[in-house]
Order: sequence, then C-alpha cells, then structure tokens
Amino acid sequence: MSPLEILVAAIGGQPAPRIPVFCNLIDQGVRELGVSPAEFYRNGELMAKAQLALLKKYGHDNVWSLSYVGKEAEFFGCRDILFADDGPPNVADFVIKSWDDIAKLEVPEDITRHPAWSETGRCLSILRDEVGATHPVCAYLTAANTLPTLLMGIEKWLELLMTGPADLIDELMKKCSAFFRQELAACRAAGANVLVYSTPFGSTSFVGKKRFEQFSLPTIRRDLENIDMAGLVFYCGMAPFNDVIASVRREFGFGAYYISPLADLAEAKRLIGDSGLTCGVIDDIHMLRWSPDQVRAEVKRICDIGKPGGRFLFGTGVMPLDVPEANIRAMLDAAFEYGRLP
Amino acid sequence: MLEPLIKAYNDAVFETDRDAAFAVVDQAIAQGVPAEDVVFHIVIPAVEEMMAQLTLDPDANLAQHFMTAQIAAEVTDKMLARFAHPPEIIGRIVIGTAQGDLHSLGKRIVSGCLKALMVEVHDLGVNVPAERFVDAAVELDAPVIAVSAMMAHTANGPQGPRRVRELLHARGLEDRIKLVVGGAPYRFDDQLYRSVGADGWAPDGVTAGKVIVDLIRARPEELAALALPLEGQENSGRPFVFSRSRGETA
Repeated sequence: MSPLEILVAAIGGQPAPRIPVFCNLIDQGVRELGVSPAEFYRNGELMAKAQLALLKKYGHDNVWSLSYVGKEAEFFGCRDILFADDGPPNVADFVIKSWDDIAKLEVPEDITRHPAWSETGRCLSILRDEVGATHPVCAYLTAANTLPTLLMGIEKWLELLMTGPADLIDELMKKCSAFFRQELAACRAAGANVLVYSTPFGSTSFVGKKRFEQFSLPTIRRDLENIDMAGLVFYCGMAPFNDVIASVRREFGFGAYYISPLADLAEAKRLIGDSGLTCGVIDDIHMLRWSPDQVRAEVKRICDIGKPGGRFLFGTGVMPLDVPEANIRAMLDAAFEYGRLP
Repeated sequence: MLEPLIKAYNDAVFETDRDAAFAVVDQAIAQGVPAEDVVFHIVIPAVEEMMAQLTLDPDANLAQHFMTAQIAAEVTDKMLARFAHPPEIIGRIVIGTAQGDLHSLGKRIVSGCLKALMVEVHDLGVNVPAERFVDAAVELDAPVIAVSAMMAHTANGPQGPRRVRELLHARGLEDRIKLVVGGAPYRFDDQLYRSVGADGWAPDGVTAGKVIVDLIRARPEELAALALPLEGQENSGRPFVFSRSRGETA
C-alpha cells in the first residue's frame, strides 16, 4: 500500500500493514539544500525539492507545503520577516499596530492572485505532481481565532480579546475567517490532501472552557460553515485539548485530531473513539537531548497506547532543526517497527 | 474592613474581569482605604494567591495568566501615583526575549507580576543579544537576568541563554547574577533549563514572578544594596517595607 492508502485505511479503520508515520521536516530543508534561510523560505521550488529529498532520505509518509507560519501575514501586507540560521522565521513587523488598523485590514479578493501565494502554490503543484497520488501532502491553515497572533502579536491579540469591544473582535474574526476559507480552498485546489486546521485558541490551555464556548467555538463554526471536511485535522499548536474533544467531535466532522504530547493520549483516543484518527505526537523538544534509545522507548510507549483498536497515526510536532539526525532515524525506525499491524 | 474588598478583588482577578477588579479598587479608595493598603493588602496578596492557584489548577490558562499580570500591573501603577511615599523595591531584574525571538507575551506577564510585587523591571525588549543582557545586569547591578524564549532554536541555540551563561562565566559574574528562563520549550522538557545553563525556570509567566522573587530573596547581602526607589521616583521620607512573607507594610 502507498503511504496515502495507509492513511486512508487508518482513517476508515480498514486493514493496513502499519500505522501512518508523519514527520514534519520543514526547517531541515535549509540544511539539506545548503542554501540561506531567506532564499529557501521564499522559493517554492526549493521548498518542494527539499521535501522530496527528505522524503527519500528518511522514508516517512508525508510532505509539507508550509514554508513558515508567518507567511499568512504577508497576505495582509506584512513585509518584514526575521530569518534565522538555526530555526524558523518570525514575523518582525505586525500589520495591526493599533486597534484602529483592524478597520483598514483587507483580505485579498483572490489570494491565489496575491504575490504571497505564488511560491506556496508552486510548491504544492510540484509536490502534487511528484507524490500527490501516493503520499499525504500537508498544508497548514491558521484558524481565524489564532490568525491575529500573526497580524498583531499574541500579546496585543490577548489584550483585545480580553478587554476590547466585542464588535471590533467580531470584525477581525470575520476578516480572518474569510481569509481562512479562501486559503483552505486554494490549498485544496492546488493539491493538498491533508489540511491542518491550527487553532491554539481552540485549546482551553489558552482561553479556558468558558471562553472556548463563548468565543472559540463560534469562530470555528464560522470558519467551517458548509466546508467539505475531508482531510481536515484538528490541531491546537501543541497545546492540549482533550477537554474540548467531545464538543468538537459533536459539532464538526474532523477526520483526525493531532494530540499534544502534553495531553493524556489514552484519554484522547477514548474520547475520539471511532469518529476520527487519533494522532499520537512525540515530544520532539525532548528529542533535542534524548539518546536514540530514549527516543525508541518513547515511540514504543506512544504506539502501545495508540495502536490497539486502530485509527491511529504516529507524528511529530515542530521537529526543531537541532534534533540530531540519529534521533530522527531512531524515531522513524521505531515507528515503523512498533507501528506494524497484525 | 478589607475582607470583602479582598474577596471581591480576588474573584475579579480569577475571572479575568479587569473592569470588576478596577471597580473594587475604586470602591476601596472611595471608602478611604490608603493606596498603600490597596497594593500591599489587596493587590500583592491576590498576585501571590493567583501564583499558588494557577500552579495547582490544571485548568489554568494563558488568558488567566495574562489578565492576572495585566490587572496587577495596571492597578499598581494607578495606586503608586497615590502613595504618600515611594515604596521600597525588593530588587531589580533585567528581562527580555532571547536573540532571534520576537514573542513578547511571556515577558509581559512576568513583568506585570513583578512590578506589582515591588520588583524593578528593566525590560530590554525583544531579540536581545546575550551581551546586552549581561551588560545591562552589570550596569544596573541586577541580581537576576530573565530570558524568555518561545522557539526551540532561541531557547536551546547557542545565541540565547547558553550564550548568557558563557558570558556570566567568562566575566566571573556567576555568583552575583542568576539566570532564569521561561517559554514553551522549557515546558515540554523541564530539564532543558539545566542544559542551557539557567539557574531556574518557570512553566508560565505568573510562576516566573515567584521564581524570580525567590531568587532575589535568596540574596540577602545584595538586597540591602538594592533598597532603592522605583524608577523615576525619589526615595524621600520613610519607605514602605514590603514584608517578604505576607506582603505587609511596616
């Protein structure tokens, strides 16, 4: 079976030789190709080339079209990105500097005609042509409730959310949601078949249960209204979200849930049940210091929890650039070994 | 007399209700409660209470931490303007985000709590080179450097806290200046702070306030030298001495 068929089987609870094994190697592309970070992240062809090279090198199941999270801010006019030699880029200049800027914020009429799309689209189109028929091609989409962190910074966004006028928050959410829906459609049309819906503000670690119900849920509803949910993954940016799984499961048809390493995986699997794929995620910050044996042991622990009953995927989080190659190999070897299905 | 006010203020802070917290403060002032008592008997105990509660509460969230610090800092600022005499600070620190890191929220939460706890905070901003942290701590005679890093490479890379530790060591400052770190990567790996050479860490901004205050308090010989007024205020008259265990005035 191809990695894509294995993923589809896992989602549907059908027989497969093993669980899907996702590994998010994005920043590693800079070193793989030996180019500067700025050159790499601004060039969709290099991004795709690196993803394909890393796929060949490590043999995991998926590729990414994401260059860096802050890319989405460029659609709204952000021009200043801070590139680093040893990690992902940061947004260095926020387009919303004061609450008054929200009224002036413009969502592009057609994001696929915006300059910020061209390289993402190019990357996706190469990945689709090369491996789209056999491999999951992932796209990263920031939810409306979280997009303001890229537009105004999390500090100002929390300030607005906690103390600002409701109509202004709603105006911003409408614009962010309109962008999200366009981006989802564009990524899907360009070849992405796994669409990661990133909503840290959908985690009660960020906003608490009350605000989740009063604020986060309605924004998620608006984002996903009449959307084809095929391939959508619920993800809270490595924040735990077990206590909202029941609500999310009840209301939306996510095919997969990407569980925080800080959460109780067994509980998450029980809560998700047969409604979707449970993704057990390794704590790859620990992988900076762990030995390969420790990595193997952790992969085994995750697979032992998640594999019984099927509908399980093994995955990584942010996979920092400084994770030793020996640990990446140990993780993948162990995931293929312990992820074997009867 | 203060009990109902204290309870109302604590409830407001826990519910992250800034307006309600300010209403309690306004009510206290209207009832003739001195600004000093508002800070030392209501605000500081509330921050300490929140530190304890948020540490123990598995449902504590980022919004609560943010608003706890925000309300504490705003109320303290408002009350300080009404103080009969400038308060005595318990210490001073320098704080900033690691080089390459532009995430300022953690720093803001820590700073808000520390200001309310009568710690003089020198905020160096974001993307701060290690040399600047050390130079500023030496120049200001600050016993604590606090580095916030939200990304793996800024928390663990060679230009962040590791470089600060190298400089402290190279300049023979390790006995005088302690290094504290915070940010998401340290939450995932609670021993990472040791490997980057930090003396302490905290899983969140509010707890970081406590860790830093504890470090300052652990250095009694330097506290005496740090009995200075808050920035921009003259130390005239009899200062309020913050009781380190209960937030009482003397």
